[in-house]
Amino acid sequence: MLAGRRTAALLLAAGLVAAGAGAAGLVLTRHPTVPQAAALQLLPAPTGPIEAAPPQGAAQVAAPVSLVIPAIGVSTSLVRLGLTSAGALQVPPTTAVAGWYTGSPRPGAIGSAVIAGHIDSRLGPGVFYRLSQLQSGDRVYVRRADGTLAVFKVTEVQMYAKNDFPTAAVYGATPTAQLRLITCGGTFDYSTGSYLSNTVVYAAEVT
Amino acid sequence: MRFTRFVRRIILLAALPLLLLGIPTAALASTASASAATASTAATGAGWIRLAHFSPNTPAVDVYLYSFGDTSAQIVLHHVAYGDASPYEQVPTGDYTVAMRAAGASSASAPVLSASVNVVAGHAYTVAGLGPESGLRLQVLDDDLTTQPGQALVRIIQASLKQNVVSVSWGGTTLESKLAFGSVTSYQTVSPGTSTLLVTGNGEDAHVSIPLAAGTVHTLVVLDGAKGLQVDDLLDAAGSATDPLGGASTGFGGMAPRAPSSPLPWLAVIGAGLLLAVVGGRRLRRLPAARS
Repeated sequence: MLAGRRTAALLLAAGLVAAGAGAAGLVLTRHPTVPQAAALQLLPAPTGPIEAAPPQGAAQVAAPVSLVIPAIGVSTSLVRLGLTSAGALQVPPTTAVAGWYTGSPRPGAIGSAVIAGHIDSRLGPGVFYRLSQLQSGDRVYVRRADGTLAVFKVTEVQMYAKNDFPTAAVYGATPTAQLRLITCGGTFDYSTGSYLSNTVVYAAEVT
Repeated sequence: MRFTRFVRRIILLAALPLLLLGIPTAALASTASASAATASTAATGAGWIRLAHFSPNTPAVDVYLYSFGDTSAQIVLHHVAYGDASPYEQVPTGDYTVAMRAAGASSASAPVLSASVNVVAGHAYTVAGLGPESGLRLQVLDDDLTTQPGQALVRIIQASLKQNVVSVSWGGTTLESKLAFGSVTSYQTVSPGTSTLLVTGNGEDAHVSIPLAAGTVHTLVVLDGAKGLQVDDLLDAAGSATDPLGGASTGFGGMAPRAPSSPLPWLAVIGAGLLLAVVGGRRLRRLPAARS
């Protein structure tokens, strides 16, 4: 009788341990990397003199020096980006900063200014990790060398396959001051070591 | 009986992690659908309009922009004088009416002139008062937003009445010869750079150094200035001087989503464990407690 009870208790205990282990395994394998909302710092909107695009020319607008996007916790200085020898967009040397493409108009001048940043490094998130989470209406602030701010409002968030990148929509001429934020997205191709898509955020200056 | 309660409690405890599992799974599913909704947002159905006054002997006007069929104006520009051009305003696609009234005239008064504009998505328009006051007209110009790679685009509006026929050259290249007062050229492609724009009239000329950067679109307006000919350089649109090829290599994969592993084996382990626990619990209940 006692032996029977012991076996039964053992069965019960073993069953519970197995169920617990199964549950733990399920949780751990299903969440390799889930963005933690708690890690998001709440950034105040920057303050400073706001200057709208001058109607004539772009010479009066100072070069951009930093970028703040409170909605996704981005606050970064801006490096300058040119083109690679192959003619592609140069990317920032580290994954912690974003960069302004010097071939594009200055943010706040008439035209479409282009800023790119990494989504991740080999080990963790990059400066534009949460770019795809931006929503229409979110504010984007660019501070310029003279201390003035250009304020933009997100109008669209899109993802494109890199082999079908909409060059005209991103780099083409626009009649008002606009901003394009670019990072990677979609599937990561381990064989080539690169993402197959780009996330592009379109924003228009708030006047 | 105590045992039944004990077993029930234990089964509940075992079921708890399963319940908790459901929550993060649901959260994941909702973030996925939220980003899908953002990505599917259609391109904005909007274009741009700007309003201008290029009629030298016409006094200042008030310019009204009405959405077609709407009697209250969407935009009103007061006291627009000769040579003034507004910045572009973004407007939803559709039909619009532009009306000009003498500056200060009641908005209910009959307009001096009006014109209709059909705004197509992604297109920009200049609605300009052109010609002499006696023959004033409102002309709708379709503004170009597309440049050849590495080139600039230029058009000329001849709005000088005093020099009613002019020739225009830029850096020694003739852009237009014998352009009559009130006319608008089509856009032409020019090699980018900073050069002298020379406007030659009948015995009077003007020269201005103007930068025309690659990827930019300009309207050069020839005007009667306080002292002779004057040229205004309107920047219609600007894009990148050189379009980078393809997309951007902005990631190294450290945060890339991995292929999701199947939850089935784990669910099987949980199920088997629970089954064992239930069997064990029942047997415990059936067997009498040890008596010492």
